[in-house]
Amino acid sequence: MRFFLIVFLIVLLSSLNVSRANDNILDIQEVTTQSGIKAWLVEDDSVPVISLSFSFLGAGSAQDSAKKQGLTRLASNTMDEGAGDLSAQQFQKRLKNLSTTLYFQSSRDHFSGELKTLTKNQDEAFNLLRMAILQPRFDQEAIDRMRQANQSRVRSSLSDPKWIAARIMNDRLYESHTYALNSGGSISSLENITKDDLKTFSKTRLGKNNLRIAVAGDINAAELAARLELIFSDLQQTVTLQSIDHIGLQNSGNIYVHEKDVPQTIVELSYPGLARENPDYIGLQVLNYILGSSGFGSRLMDDIREKRGLTYSIYSSLLTLDKAQNLTISSSTKNDSAQEMLFLIKNIVQDLKTNGATQEELDNARSYLIGSLPLSLTSTDKITRVLISLMQHNLPVDYLQNRNDTIEALTLSDIKRIAQNYLDPEQFVAVLVGSPSIDKTDDTIEIQIVDSIPNAE
Amino acid sequence: MLCFFGLSSSHAQSLHPEGIFKSEYFSLENGLQIVVIPNNRVPVITHMVWYRAGSADEPPGKSGIAHFMEHMMFKGSRTIDGKILEPGEFSRTVKMLGGNDNAFTSYDYTAYFQSIAKQHLKSVMQMEAGRMRSMNPPQSHIESERMVILEERSQRTDNSPIALLNEQMGASLFINHGYGTPIIGWRHEMEKLTRQDVLDWHQKYYTPNNAILIVSGDVIGEEVYKIAQQTYGKIPARALPARKRQATPSIKANTFIKLEDPRVKQAQFRRAMRGPNYRLNKQEALAMQIVEDIVGNGPTSKLYQSLVIDQKLATNAGLYTQNNRWDDDEIVIFATPAPGISLDLLEAAIEQEINAIIEAGFNEDNVRAAIQHLQDSAIYARDSLAGPAMVFGHNLITGSVIDDVEYWQRDIEAVSAQDAQDAALKYLSPKNNRYVSGYLLPADRDSKGVQK
Repeated sequence: MRFFLIVFLIVLLSSLNVSRANDNILDIQEVTTQSGIKAWLVEDDSVPVISLSFSFLGAGSAQDSAKKQGLTRLASNTMDEGAGDLSAQQFQKRLKNLSTTLYFQSSRDHFSGELKTLTKNQDEAFNLLRMAILQPRFDQEAIDRMRQANQSRVRSSLSDPKWIAARIMNDRLYESHTYALNSGGSISSLENITKDDLKTFSKTRLGKNNLRIAVAGDINAAELAARLELIFSDLQQTVTLQSIDHIGLQNSGNIYVHEKDVPQTIVELSYPGLARENPDYIGLQVLNYILGSSGFGSRLMDDIREKRGLTYSIYSSLLTLDKAQNLTISSSTKNDSAQEMLFLIKNIVQDLKTNGATQEELDNARSYLIGSLPLSLTSTDKITRVLISLMQHNLPVDYLQNRNDTIEALTLSDIKRIAQNYLDPEQFVAVLVGSPSIDKTDDTIEIQIVDSIPNAE
Repeated sequence: MLCFFGLSSSHAQSLHPEGIFKSEYFSLENGLQIVVIPNNRVPVITHMVWYRAGSADEPPGKSGIAHFMEHMMFKGSRTIDGKILEPGEFSRTVKMLGGNDNAFTSYDYTAYFQSIAKQHLKSVMQMEAGRMRSMNPPQSHIESERMVILEERSQRTDNSPIALLNEQMGASLFINHGYGTPIIGWRHEMEKLTRQDVLDWHQKYYTPNNAILIVSGDVIGEEVYKIAQQTYGKIPARALPARKRQATPSIKANTFIKLEDPRVKQAQFRRAMRGPNYRLNKQEALAMQIVEDIVGNGPTSKLYQSLVIDQKLATNAGLYTQNNRWDDDEIVIFATPAPGISLDLLEAAIEQEINAIIEAGFNEDNVRAAIQHLQDSAIYARDSLAGPAMVFGHNLITGSVIDDVEYWQRDIEAVSAQDAQDAALKYLSPKNNRYVSGYLLPADRDSKGVQK
C-alpha cells in the first residue's frame, strides 16, 4: 500500500523553455516519461506546493446513456471514496491528514481531476492518486451514499430557477443529442447506475491514449517524470470511445417559458458560436468581450444595468464543447421587465452586427485580454487549469504567446467582418424562468410554455 | 519577534521575518494603516482598501446603505490629482490597464480591490485615494443603481427559499444587533435610500484613519509607502464616531423557524448559535477552529460520519463558523435529511451526537491532526495573489493585529484537547448556548412531516 519505490528514468525534454524568448508568459516544459506518458510542467519552488491536473479526453458525460444519465458524475464522486486496501473513510482520512486535496470532476466532454499537495507529502499523495485511478473500489456503501447525495442535490436544484433555466436550455438547444441529457443525472436515472457500470466506466474510458497532464509548482522535470511513471504506467494503453456527432442550434427562434412563483425572471439566451480551432475564434472572443463577457464597460452591462437599472448582472460567454459551440447571454430581471430585456438584448446584438465596434472598444478589449493574462496564472492550481484547458482543446504549447500576437494584429475591419459573419440576433433559443409578464397582444413575440423540467425527476 | 525600524520620523515599519507571509507594516500621519505582502512570482499586484464600516454600523431605517455606498463608489469621483472619473470610468480604466476590480460589503467592513500588472499600482492608488477623499454620483445614477440593488436582492435572496430562511434565522439569533439585519438591506428600506444618505455615509466613514490599505504581490514595502504618501497622504484625517454596537440580550428561549414553500423539493435543516470572536475571546475562538475541523469539516468529520455514514439519516451534514466579525461569530450546523427521514428525527439525532461528542471529549491525536491540517492550510494560502491580502484584510479590519495573522500557526499549535472540549461544551451544547433552528420544508408532506 505504501509505495515509495524511487525509479530513475531517462527524461526526455523535448522542448525545454518553450516561451523563454518571450519570457512574460509561462515557461512550459514538455515532459515525457520512459513509457511515453506526457505532461506539461511549470516549475516554481517559491511555495512548497505541487498542483497536478489531469484529464481523460472524451470520457465525459456525453458518453452516458439516457437510462444512466449521471454515470460520469457518480464516478467522479466515488473514485475518491476508497481504493486498493483503503475504505472510503480511510482514504478520505489519509487525504486530510496529508493536507492533500484530490478530487475528480466530470464535464460533458471530459473526465478530469486535480491533486494539490505539499511538497513534503508528495510520496503518499501521488500514491493515493495512483490508487484512486488504478484501483478504485466502488464499494456499494459509497455508491449508495453518493447516489443519495446527488439525488438530494437535484431535488434542491428544483427550487433554483437558474438551474431550471439551464436544464431547459440544454434540453431544447441540443434536442435529441446526448448533450441534451442531464450530466448530473436525474433522480430516477441515478437509481439505475450499478457497481458494474462504474467498473466498466473506469475500464472503458480511462486510458493512456486519452490522458493529458499538467503540473505546476515545486517539482522538477526529472522528478515529475519518475512520479508520473509510477502513477500512470500500469494504466491500460488504449480506450475507444463512442463517436459523437456535432450538433448545431436546434429550435431556433423559440422562447421557452417555465412558470415559477418568484419575483425575478431568469433570462438565458443561446446563439451559435465558434470552435476554438477556427481562425476567427480569437476575434469572436474580442467581440464577446465588447458585447458582454467583460461585465462593466461591456455593451450589455452599460445599457441594461448601468443606464436602465434592469438587472444586477448580465454576461455573455463563449461555450466551446467538443461537438457544439455557442454564444450565451445570461441575466435576470424583475418579472415586469423580462420582455423588455429580450428586446434590448436583441437590439444590442443587432447593432454590433450591423455597425461593428469602435476603435476605442477594440483597443480596450485588446489591452485587457493581453494585459490580464498573468492574473490567471497567480497560483499553481490556476496555472494547471489553464494548461489542461489548452490540452482539452488540442491547442499547442505556445498557444498563449500566439494568442497575444493574434489579438494584437486584429483590426477594426476584422471585428466588423466577424460580427457580420457570426452574430445573428434571429438565430437563438431563449429560456425564461419566473413569472414574466409577456404582452399577449404583441405578435412579434411568441412563447412556448414548458411545464415539466426535462430529465430532472 | 516584532522589530521596529525608524525609517523616517513619520512612520514606523515592522517586519515579520518568522511569520507566514513576511508582511511589512506602515502607517501614514493621517492614520491610514498599510500592510504589504511581498510575492514576486508573477509581476502583478492586488491592491485593496478596507473601511471599518459595514451594515451593522447602519442607523435604524437605513438598512442597505453600506452596500449601496459600495455600488455608488463606481459612479463618479476624481483621482487624487483631480482628474474627473465619470460613472463607470473607474472600472473601465482598470480594465483598460489589463486589471480586474470589484468590491464587497459585509457586516463590519466594506472593501475595494484591483488586481493588475505591477507597473499600474500608482494609477490605481491615485484613483482609489481619490474616491476615498470624495465621490460625486449624479442623481440619475442613484435612481438606476437603487433598482440594481433591488434586483440584486431578488437574485440573492427573494428568489431563493434557503436564503430567505437564513435571513429570518439571522434576525432571531442577533436580536437588537446589526447582524440581525441582512447586509443587502430590507427591501422597503432600500427603496427609500437617497443620494444624501450616500454622501452622509461617505462623510462619516470614508476617511484614512478608518481604513487599511493592503498590497500583495510583486512590490516592496518602501515603494508602496512612497506612493501611498503621494496619494492617500494628501487626505486629512477626520473625526470618527466611536463604533457603538447594541448588545444582544441574553436569549431565554430557543427559536424554531419553519419555512414551507411549494417551490421546495428538498427539505433542509440548519441550526445557528452565537460563537466566540477572535477579537473578544481569542483563546476560545482558536479552540473553536479545532472543534469545527473535527466535528464539522468534510466527509471525515464526526457529524458526517455519524449522521451520513453510520446512521444513514442524512445525505450531507456538517458545521461551519462565520468568523471574522467584530462582534460575536455565528456557528452553523447543517444537514440534509435522507429520504423518509423527518427533520424532527434528524434534529434529535444531531443533538444526541453533539452531546456525545462533548461528553467523550476530544482525542489528543485528533486534535494534533486538526492542528497540522490547519497549519498546512496556511502554506496553501501563500500559493495565491489575492488570498493573503484577503486574510489580512478580514482579520485586521475586525480587530486582530498583524501578529495574529503572521503567527497564527504558533497560536493554533497551543490548543489542547481540553480547550476544544471546553469550547464545544460552552458553545455547542444546547444546555449552555441558545440556538435558532431552521426548517426548510416542501409544502407537500405527509402527516408525519415526511416529504412526499
